[in-house]
Amino acid sequence: MSFLLPKLTSKKEVDQAIKSTAEKVLVLRFGRDEDPVCLQLDDVLSKTSSDLSKMAAIYLVDVDQTPVYTQYFDISYIPSTVFFFNGQHMKVDYGSPDHTKFVGSFKTKQDFIDLIEVIYRGAMRGKLIVQSPIDPKNIPKYDLLYQDI
Amino acid sequence: MARDLLLVVEIPGSQPMAPAQRCPLCRQTFFCGRGHVYSRKHQRQLKEALERLLPRVEAARKAIRAAQVERYVPEHERCCWCLCCGCEVREHLSHGNLTVLHGGLLEHLASPEHKKATNKFWWENKAEVQMKEKFLVTPQDYARFKKSLVKGLDSYEEKEDEVIKEMAAQIREVEQSRQEMVRSVLEPQAVPDPEEGSSAPRSWKGMNSQVASSSQQPSNLDLPPAPELDWMETGQSLTFIGHQDIPGVGNIHSGATPPWMIQDEYTSGNQQIGPSYEEFLKEKEKQKLKKLPPDRVGANFDHSSRTSAGWLPSFGRVWNNGRRWQSRYMFNARSPTYPPNLLFGDVTLLPVNPLFPFRHQFKNEAAAMKKQSHREKS
Repeated sequence: MSFLLPKLTSKKEVDQAIKSTAEKVLVLRFGRDEDPVCLQLDDVLSKTSSDLSKMAAIYLVDVDQTPVYTQYFDISYIPSTVFFFNGQHMKVDYGSPDHTKFVGSFKTKQDFIDLIEVIYRGAMRGKLIVQSPIDPKNIPKYDLLYQDI
Repeated sequence: MARDLLLVVEIPGSQPMAPAQRCPLCRQTFFCGRGHVYSRKHQRQLKEALERLLPRVEAARKAIRAAQVERYVPEHERCCWCLCCGCEVREHLSHGNLTVLHGGLLEHLASPEHKKATNKFWWENKAEVQMKEKFLVTPQDYARFKKSLVKGLDSYEEKEDEVIKEMAAQIREVEQSRQEMVRSVLEPQAVPDPEEGSSAPRSWKGMNSQVASSSQQPSNLDLPPAPELDWMETGQSLTFIGHQDIPGVGNIHSGATPPWMIQDEYTSGNQQIGPSYEEFLKEKEKQKLKKLPPDRVGANFDHSSRTSAGWLPSFGRVWNNGRRWQSRYMFNARSPTYPPNLLFGDVTLLPVNPLFPFRHQFKNEAAAMKKQSHREKS
């Protein structure tokens, strides 16, 4: 599944993706291709990518290859999915502690499609933070630690 | 008592006035209320209308038993007006090359809406009840029709196959007869006939030997041109210019470019008039962009601006409490001991830059940079 989606391997490529994606939601999946939860997420992403082709552009980024972004986005759990629109990061309130990224995999393809649509509509209206339409039961739970506290 | 008499007395000969109503069957307005449908005129109109409709319906009914499939002809587009529903119904069902005769009408007659409409029509117009059954088709009849339709399709296909086979047989026959004729012409070559003493049989013989040496297939083509050549040579009156073929250059028959399309005279600069294809595509994109809402996120983001290696997108981090661009600033300005180890004192979570303690006072980064440079200068 991960071979069906385009991959970005360096900071420069990620920069270019962020800057050049115009008027579409940019989805960056940070993780490793072999990790099982990443595989699940990649499956969902690749199956929906053609349906969402007019609204979103999806890329996979390996956390080991882009350490700058791994630190900048503070990625401690993989997979983490970050959303951008026109070079601006979009925050989404999932009901989880971290609004800047989606941690874990989506339960169904429809969840992901709904989320992309909500982000797109919010971005069109000028909102930098939107409310996630996914049922809180389907959001993966994790503990956000600040430096092992 | 006098009052009672008044109530009883009626003026004879005139009906009470009802509101104006239009009868679609008679195509007339009447004022008799419900009495109109019983009048002679209306009943006559009704009978005539039903008589017009009946033959079509009967023809369709006959098709229930023996459905016929025909090849499509534009005449099959004809429609029939259904009196009860008040709508045009296509009479024959056609699909592709084939038509089922009376299929459309039968389908309509079997439909439940038609049944309801027919019942309503009969009730309103007070027609004869026995006639009603003739204009309806029960679902069982329709099912029977469908079965016979399948048979009809099969028989149509068989017929078509037969026709094709016949045509094939005919073609074979014609081919056979031609072959025989050729053979019969070849055989008399061995028998010299002294009675035919002109050049014509000589040329025939010469041609025949040619034919015998070559294969038999082009033989029937050789037969007509040989006598024609004789005729052409004798009628010579046109002047001969010479063969117009230069080996390297092509001509119209070989498909070369015509002389007026060859461009090596004046116009050697920019051949194109108008914008190029890429510019056209870009214009189309710009048109699309104009339709998007102007206050969307990042509307004024310059996608094509050059960025340095240290560029980072504006990312609102988890733990920050300032503006978004501050997260990038803080990330860039972090000290080697980032992230801070809180277990050993130091209450403040954020790495504060001693040079810039109150950065949040600035609305955007440009103002902050200006202040910084101003401060550095002084």
